[in-house]
Amino acid sequence: MQKNMGAAAEPSSTPNWATVLFVGRDPRRTLTRIVFLIAGSLILFKLLLLPIRVEGISMLPTYREKRVNFVNRLAYVLHPPRRGDVVAIRLAGRHVMFMKRIIGLPGETIEFRRGKVFINGRLLEEPYLAWPCNWDRSPERIGPGEYYVVGDNRTMDWNDHVKGLADRDRIVGKVLL
Amino acid sequence: MRRCAFAISLTIVALVAGWVGWSVFFPGPERVIRRSLEEIQILATFSASEAPLAKLANSRKLAAYFAPEVQIAVDVPGRPVQVIQGAEDLLQALMAARAQILSLKVRFLDINISVADGRQAAVANLTVRGSIAGEADELVQELNFWFQKSGRDWLIRRVETVKTLR
Repeated sequence: MQKNMGAAAEPSSTPNWATVLFVGRDPRRTLTRIVFLIAGSLILFKLLLLPIRVEGISMLPTYREKRVNFVNRLAYVLHPPRRGDVVAIRLAGRHVMFMKRIIGLPGETIEFRRGKVFINGRLLEEPYLAWPCNWDRSPERIGPGEYYVVGDNRTMDWNDHVKGLADRDRIVGKVLL
Repeated sequence: MRRCAFAISLTIVALVAGWVGWSVFFPGPERVIRRSLEEIQILATFSASEAPLAKLANSRKLAAYFAPEVQIAVDVPGRPVQVIQGAEDLLQALMAARAQILSLKVRFLDINISVADGRQAAVANLTVRGSIAGEADELVQELNFWFQKSGRDWLIRRVETVKTLR
């Protein structure tokens, strides 16, 4: 009789392989891990690092289409956006954002001469540009709290390229990779 | 004690049911406007297989969401500025668009609604994303829709593009 009871109790003490595979040896610990993982992922990917997918050719050759990247929302907590930073700029929200490079800072004057950028009359070195550009634009003053942003691909016509002054509160963060 | 707990639970359930019922039968302006925008994006979307009669019917249905004196000013980079004034002009423009474009898919994203003016007017700020057949790039534009309450309906009286980058 005792022998039978022992044999009956044995299967319940060692969980079968399917249970171990799906809920682990200790379901309570597994549940805690899942909760922490979900909460951590939500905080990381909803608040700190926003995942994005690049669409369009505006940032070629630096960023190619369909590549996945992240926007670091904490990049400008300690310092304001800097020249050369590639940033995400929100439209009505964060489902669709523009990805552009900051070339002009608040208070500066920006000018395009035969495709070259001049900041306060001085030529801006732009090693990230791969192709020639022929844009010409008279000097424009950048107001306080505004940043001049443009894509790296300036081969298209001036009117076909989305660029211009972005308010600071529209800059969501810095592109991470 | 058990009877008291039961009464409290019943009261909570009744309050929740009442609140849900109220919001379903008497939705607030924001909810009504959101629903209108959802219906507009469905009606604005069309495929190549849309029948001529359906084109007319859907254009008319879409135009019915706009006030008779509607003003639409669309200034998208790289395209000529388009100004439409009045519901009749709008209907013509909708019909022309359906005749000229093979297919169009419209999506409204990030809808922010602010109700003002004693709940008689509202502004919906949103991003519109449009895929036109034959065009590689999607159209992405921020828009403001001004709504005006007219009887029990909310009609669009003005649509304007927002210059995200100036």
